[in-house]
Amino acid sequence: MASRILPVADRAQVRAYARRLTLKYPKELGLALSLHALAAISGLASPRLLGELVQAVADGSGDVHVDTIALAIAGFVVVQAVLVRLAVYASSRLGEKVLAELREDFVDQVLALPLSTVERAGSGDLITRTSRDVDALSRSVRHAVPETLIAVVTCVFALGALLLVGPVMAVPSLVAVPVLWISTRWYLKRARDGYLRENAAYADMTEGLSETVEGARTVEALGIQKRRHQRTDGDIARSFAAERYTLGLRTVWFPSVEIGYVIPVVATLLLGGLFHAEGWVSLAQVTAATLYVQQLIDPLDRVLSWMDELQVGGASMARLLGVVNVPDDRVAGGARPDGEELKATGVTYAYREGHNVLHGIDLDVRAGERLAMVGPSGAGKSTLGRLLAGIHGPGTGSVTVGGVELVELPLDDLRGHVALVTQEHHVFRGTLRDNVLIGRPDATDDDVRRALEAVDAWDWAEALDEGLDTIVGSGGEAVSPAQAQQLALARLVLADPHTLVLDEATSLIDPRAARHLERSLAAVLDGRTVIAIAHRLYTAHDADRVAVVEDGRVSELGSHDELVAAGGAYAALWDSWHGKGR
Amino acid sequence: MTMISLPVADPGTPDARSPIRYLWWVARVQKWPLLVGIGLAILWWLAQALVPAALGRAIDALADGRTNVLVEWSAAIFGLGVIQAVTGVLRHRFAVLTWLGASYRTVQVTTRQATRLGATLPKRLSTGEVVSVGNSDIAHIGNAMEILLRGTGAFVAVATVTVILLSTSPPLGLVVLIGVPLMVGAVGPLLRPLHNRQHAQRDLQGDLATRASDIVGGLRVLRGIGGEELFSARYREESQKVRRAGVRVASVESALEGAQILLPGVLIAAVTWLGAHFALDGRISPGQLVAFYAYAAFLIAPLRTLTEAADRVTKGHVAARRVCRILSLDPEIQGGTATLPADAASDVLRDGESGVTVRPGRLTALVTAVPEEAAAITDRLGRYAPGEVTLGGVSLDELPIDEVRRHILVADNAARLFTGRLRDELDVRGTATDDDVRLALHAACADDIVESLPDGLDAHVAEAGREFSGGQQQRLRLARALAADPDVLVLIEPTSAVDAHTEARIADRIGAARAGRTTLVCTTSPLVLDRADLVLFVEDGKVRAEGAHRELLQAEPGYSATVTRGEG
Repeated sequence: MASRILPVADRAQVRAYARRLTLKYPKELGLALSLHALAAISGLASPRLLGELVQAVADGSGDVHVDTIALAIAGFVVVQAVLVRLAVYASSRLGEKVLAELREDFVDQVLALPLSTVERAGSGDLITRTSRDVDALSRSVRHAVPETLIAVVTCVFALGALLLVGPVMAVPSLVAVPVLWISTRWYLKRARDGYLRENAAYADMTEGLSETVEGARTVEALGIQKRRHQRTDGDIARSFAAERYTLGLRTVWFPSVEIGYVIPVVATLLLGGLFHAEGWVSLAQVTAATLYVQQLIDPLDRVLSWMDELQVGGASMARLLGVVNVPDDRVAGGARPDGEELKATGVTYAYREGHNVLHGIDLDVRAGERLAMVGPSGAGKSTLGRLLAGIHGPGTGSVTVGGVELVELPLDDLRGHVALVTQEHHVFRGTLRDNVLIGRPDATDDDVRRALEAVDAWDWAEALDEGLDTIVGSGGEAVSPAQAQQLALARLVLADPHTLVLDEATSLIDPRAARHLERSLAAVLDGRTVIAIAHRLYTAHDADRVAVVEDGRVSELGSHDELVAAGGAYAALWDSWHGKGR
Repeated sequence: MTMISLPVADPGTPDARSPIRYLWWVARVQKWPLLVGIGLAILWWLAQALVPAALGRAIDALADGRTNVLVEWSAAIFGLGVIQAVTGVLRHRFAVLTWLGASYRTVQVTTRQATRLGATLPKRLSTGEVVSVGNSDIAHIGNAMEILLRGTGAFVAVATVTVILLSTSPPLGLVVLIGVPLMVGAVGPLLRPLHNRQHAQRDLQGDLATRASDIVGGLRVLRGIGGEELFSARYREESQKVRRAGVRVASVESALEGAQILLPGVLIAAVTWLGAHFALDGRISPGQLVAFYAYAAFLIAPLRTLTEAADRVTKGHVAARRVCRILSLDPEIQGGTATLPADAASDVLRDGESGVTVRPGRLTALVTAVPEEAAAITDRLGRYAPGEVTLGGVSLDELPIDEVRRHILVADNAARLFTGRLRDELDVRGTATDDDVRLALHAACADDIVESLPDGLDAHVAEAGREFSGGQQQRLRLARALAADPDVLVLIEPTSAVDAHTEARIADRIGAARAGRTTLVCTTSPLVLDRADLVLFVEDGKVRAEGAHRELLQAEPGYSATVTRGEG
């Protein structure tokens, strides 16, 4: 199924966006960076002072000198602690701000996705982006980015300090550079895919478990216990293979970098000793340099270990930004519809090239008419419904309202003319009132009540403990699928477009109650055009005209009585429903 | 190096009498990797613990100008580095192995328990409770195992450093040994507010994530009839709340970061000051002064590991308690031990309480005045609930549950589609030929669904079949039930979500597909009822009438009211 049709941003786009975000708050950024730099500098005082202390001790200089140095060490520690507190706070504040902006932008872009994309993409990919990718990016922005930044700043200053101690003392450390460089490059090249695979395999495993749990009764009914065990064991085996791969990478990389860390310490000590013996450097310089080199390990290690997290964050950002790249599906023209007559002429449509699901449909829907569409599943009713609602443009032919192509209307205008309700039944988290108000945010409670009454939902809505204020949706009061469909219809009643396309909009409602609902709805919608893709035959019976759709064509069209009299497919079905003939 | 392969074929029988026993069981079944890992962790920590001492000696040699001794100690530091690198990575490998071993085994035993509980599970446990095992508990149990390695090693390292420090300079040693735990403990008061604020932030972030998926889930509605601005504004509002909570976390977190520099830093300064005076008095060497400095810095790591160990073991215990609660349940319905005579499965199925009698080899329809009655009767017929039900004269409660399930399949609309290759998910018993599957799909009018998939029967079914519409799911479920080809098939409202045309076709085809087999359909659809061999009408829990659909329409006002309600 087409679950991967949303684009992903390219590297240049990600970089440009990251740059824009970073530079958007230059003052905050400057403040955070300078605080971190000052903190790093004050952290570098101790080794230097300790070096002097060792020298003082070796030289046997007086107590006062020792006390001063020790006090200075303590002083710098206090200064560093205060600066770190301020620096971390400043960068976190900035990070949170940027992060909030990022996710808000993303949600706004999602809310602006073209109708046709929303209908086609399915929610899987988009849900992954809103949950997993936003999470991954949050981790990056909250931890990886600032930690890396701090570590880089610290590294730079530690190196600077090392050079200040004596440029010659920095030479031994260079030995480690190729070891660290080569092994880390090797690792990073493979790590990202490895960890993505690992996470995916782990998610499959936990998903498999929840599937077994949620379907426990089905598992027992079908006797597929063994299969479920095999599925779990198979998932585990795949997860283990993925874990083993990344473990293999770390088995090479970890010892390489650790050796890479110890080499400079030893080299500084050893070469420093030789230089000292030659009288080129002092004891204080060797001690300070050795401690600086040791102090470099921690920030360096942090930079290296956040690298893959940064990569993951970058990939997530690419997926979030990708949503912007969805091309708009309609170019609004200037023409305004003259009247509400909906007209399809010679319409064809294909989801996959060369596989037309509609073959030249002609259909005129008169303003104020109730038209029922019936036909076997897969015949193209829903597709035709979506074309009549202006969600997709036809492959060939045209769908017009009042003489203007639906796909050439601006979205807001389109909504005023025609709206679609499908059998999908999403209940938004919020109050019952809010769920209905989506249709018309400025409606009064009376309007809401009338809309709910029109769909037979007022009785149960009123009976809820807090009435319209009851919280529904995820985590709130449970609303049955049938009630959810009623809410969807109530929303539409409130929105009050001229034409309503109902695609099996009452399919989840008990057939015994559905007919009553449809009749009360019809009373409210009097004068509006209603195109109902019918699930039950009484919908067709109650309509002004019935269109029978078979194999992408309208095979019969007329009033219920005409079609029954004509004795075609519809008549046969109707008779069977009523227990007459066969 | 060789590596144990996971998962194990048989996870064994867990000891679920208490959380501690469960954790002990998980440790015991992988005792070798665990013990080897502990040994490696000890070596790894020791190699780190000895570096400051070696560094001190090297500095002394340097100060004294003894170059060959300096070379020796430099070599020793390098050697310790190599040991640390090698034992470090080996320890890591064993740590990952025990972590995975513990989590995988927990997933295995939980899955097996879920399938053992079957229909009992949803009655006794919330799915969230079991699913949280997969989402977080296995990680906590893995963490509890993993920390055994590092924690033991850290303990040994602390003990070793204690000995070194006290033997070098007892007073300075005491300062370090008392000072370091004090410093580690002193950040404690900051931890509680930090955790509270982190908790508050996580809750808000969870709400925000729910809001986002709510928007995505209802995007069709929002883009179809409007409301984008409203939802965008709400999201922004909650997003800003999360931001503020994040800043609140940062204010404690940054204080903690500062404290973690200040406290050890002050201690190190004190040790250095005291050590310098001792060195001036000649009680310790300059090198030992550097070593003390390095030890005060080093000890923080193993002590943090020990604090972390306490936390991880506690969380592991909580996780294990949840696992134990699940593992200690038993299925509600227990089977008997009788065997079913060879021809009994193709004989009459009868529910004593309602009088519903399902004739062998026929398509019987069941109409109840209220849906709950149908559910109660089919629960008894399928032995999901106790009752006086006989199959071929044998009471169901005398038969093993597996046997009952094999002969009688109850297919309802709550049944779940599982992820996997469509062909496999339709042929759950693995016994159907390609033709059987094709026929089942045809009977369920589901061939068009398969045709519309680019990969046909090889297509992958996503979680719970969510990429199929409600009607498509229903038809696929029906095809699956038909392909399983049980002796007795009980279908509950199998066509409630399909259109009339399709319903009529399905009704025509089910009879043919189940020819010679026993079938009971619970429905109120006239299209289906009209095609049944016999219709039973139940009111107030008892069979009120039986006959052909049209006879009952004429003869039984209660029946025609139920079936054609509102038909006018």
